[in-house]
Amino acid sequence: MSEAHGEGPQRELPGGASRFVRALWGFDVRLHALPPAAHEFAARRPRFVASNLWLPASPLTGVPGSFSDYLFAACAHISAHLRFGAPRFSIKSLKPAQVAIISLLEDARVERLATEQYPGLARLWAPYYTARADGQKTSLSLFARLARALHDDAYVDDDSWVSKGRQLFFEGRAEWRDASLCRRIGGALGNDLGQMRVQFNAKDYAVQPAYRDDNIGLWQFEQEQTDDGCELESEGRRRIESDVPTPKPPERGEPLASGPSDASASERASGSRSQVGAELEPATLHPEWDYVIGRERPDFCRVRERPAALGDATRIAATLARYAPARKRLERSALRLADRRPIRLRRLLDGDSLDLPAALAAVVAHESAVSADPRVYRRLRFQLEPPALLLLLDLSESLNASAPGSSATLLELARSASALLATSLSSIAGDLAIHGFSSNGRHDVGYYRFKDFGQPYDELVRARLAGMHAHLSTRLGSALRHAGRALATRNAARKLLLVVTDGEPSDIDIHDPKYLLFDAKQATISNRRLGVTSFCVGLDANAEGSVKPIFGAGNYSLLDRLESLPQKIAQLYLRLSA
Amino acid sequence: MSAAILDAFRIPDEPYYLALGDELSLFEAAYAVRLPVMLKGPTGCGKTRFVQHMAWRLRRPLLTVACNEEMSASDLLGRYLLEDGATRWQDGPLTIAARLGAICYLDEVVEARQDTLVVIHPLTDDRRLLSLPARSETLRAHPDFHLVVSHNPGYQSALKDLKPSTKQRFGAIEFDFPVRAQEVEILVHETALARELAERLVSVAEAARRLKGHGLDEGISTRMLVHAGALIRQGIAAEAACQMALVRPLTDDPDLVSALNASVRACL
Repeated sequence: MSEAHGEGPQRELPGGASRFVRALWGFDVRLHALPPAAHEFAARRPRFVASNLWLPASPLTGVPGSFSDYLFAACAHISAHLRFGAPRFSIKSLKPAQVAIISLLEDARVERLATEQYPGLARLWAPYYTARADGQKTSLSLFARLARALHDDAYVDDDSWVSKGRQLFFEGRAEWRDASLCRRIGGALGNDLGQMRVQFNAKDYAVQPAYRDDNIGLWQFEQEQTDDGCELESEGRRRIESDVPTPKPPERGEPLASGPSDASASERASGSRSQVGAELEPATLHPEWDYVIGRERPDFCRVRERPAALGDATRIAATLARYAPARKRLERSALRLADRRPIRLRRLLDGDSLDLPAALAAVVAHESAVSADPRVYRRLRFQLEPPALLLLLDLSESLNASAPGSSATLLELARSASALLATSLSSIAGDLAIHGFSSNGRHDVGYYRFKDFGQPYDELVRARLAGMHAHLSTRLGSALRHAGRALATRNAARKLLLVVTDGEPSDIDIHDPKYLLFDAKQATISNRRLGVTSFCVGLDANAEGSVKPIFGAGNYSLLDRLESLPQKIAQLYLRLSA
Repeated sequence: MSAAILDAFRIPDEPYYLALGDELSLFEAAYAVRLPVMLKGPTGCGKTRFVQHMAWRLRRPLLTVACNEEMSASDLLGRYLLEDGATRWQDGPLTIAARLGAICYLDEVVEARQDTLVVIHPLTDDRRLLSLPARSETLRAHPDFHLVVSHNPGYQSALKDLKPSTKQRFGAIEFDFPVRAQEVEILVHETALARELAERLVSVAEAARRLKGHGLDEGISTRMLVHAGALIRQGIAAEAACQMALVRPLTDDPDLVSALNASVRACL
């Protein structure tokens, strides 16, 4: 279930509303924030298109009661449409007034059916019926009065048109399950309205009461132009279609919550900034070890944090489906890891306190003159906190190669590994980060944060993982230093830096293969001083020569079956954590 | 040890239980061949009440043990006590039931540590033996002895499950919340609420059960409905009673609380 959040905190929709709909009817809806009205005086109304709901993100003017009550009322109304509504009405040759009346009757019909099941809904909606049986008889006021007459049995209105509508509606009670009833009554009432010479102006019309949707979701608009001079109809249709801002329903694959897309907008903005002037980007200077002179060159490499590109987040779910059995196992292990209850060890030779049953048994044995078991102590063993984990991915050009014996590229495997890790370790997600790097000379080491510490594994992270791409070179040492610093700030007893790389470090401005190798080794050593343990997963079974000197014996694992990388990464973490 | 101590565990009056399916005959058949029974189902759906009812129906005393993490084998089997410098053996509930012929009911059996539960193994196959190592005694179970355990597979994490070797000793009866008409019936019987109000309370429960897995670990149980009904009978307004008995105990999540409160208002 995804809920929309607007551009700012004041546009947040309560998460309870979509759950309320599920509680009532058992289906899910998606909530989105309704864009602001096209112009200041245009009335805003909720809208729905299939199971997507657009709700105002701030209170409407003149609507009584609390805003959250209003949202629940709106959700209850729209969900009644979804539950009891028929396929959309065809607009065909209907006049705008008829469209509005049929919609009004349909609103009443689905509400009546909903209240049969949930009588309390009537009370939820009641405060918004403010129409009174007096004043001028405009189409607007008559419609509001009819809406109230159909809702409120105690309401008295002697207007003949309102009475007729009410009578027809309740006479048709037996047919409430059938939406065509509304069409029949609505057609008749619309004709009467015309004969009464009451003007209906589609432009000024706003559905009453205010919690109801704008009816767009009820109608099927035809594309072809009407041939005869039915000016009013096409005018009315245009009004209905264009007057209220039409939010586009999200397409499949696009991140559904507006949070990620907002973020994507800002990221795109900052991404374009990086093209305009790289100097403006935040960069961190790191030293580099020169083994020839046996010293560090201070502030030698520039690591630039770049926003990760966004991709189609739904791809990640498809990828994960392939790893379902592994995922289940891993989740179980992760749960065990997250379970921090101390274990009570009993019957020990020494311990923190006396194990009373054992002590008693020893006394009894002693009294019975048989040899007593001396193990009469107990102790609590506290389980180790799971380590904070930073998964650092080498995203250099060579990751685009396909894995031997597999159709997938190394990059795809790295992506699956990240997704599997993040999903299966959700119980300890706060202490998991997934970063990546690729370099283009010492002044341009790109660093990407797909998921950071403390960030939930959500749509945005999945979109970033989907958008992960590989290019350029591998300046491993600088990336290790940068990741080590990020990890060092975590408040965890153990900090694990898991590096996935496909071979030895290289970069365009370095021709001595040993130079970057020794630098990476030095980076690992300085990370250890920061309390960060490094472990490497080599994507090349023959990479021992480059990986072992950097990470040290026992601190790396080389994969011979690359397809198993996703499972391997998560297993490694669990093994290293235990 | 005399059978008189079992009198305290006899159930003289019929505990109300509305059969939802064939569970009565299943249990009776299992008892006839002394097949240990496992009752599975969500919390508050009537498992414990069912056991009480069956104990009454079969005219057997019922010893109930609420299992927990700290429970040790001696909590089931018994232990030596020191009295005036001498020792005295005290049977545990499982031993009493096995020795004197009662139904022993281990409630929420997965809560007990797995190494504790292995003591029931020889008792639950055709040997029907209970070994008391501390007393150097091996006890042959009374012919009337019967073992029943309950188990809620839902909310326990992957970490808590019975060993296959334990599970396989039981026949299992699956419970779930009653269907609407039956749940109304139960509620009316237990709380003497008007039928219409009982219907509405059941609607609240049904709404909450749709949120299971969507934020809630467990839906509103029949037991919670009975609590709400009891509060209403005490003169509490229905909405307040629902909040107290149904919504607040279930969740602390503000979104869920607002969704549940709105559902309560919609149902009443």
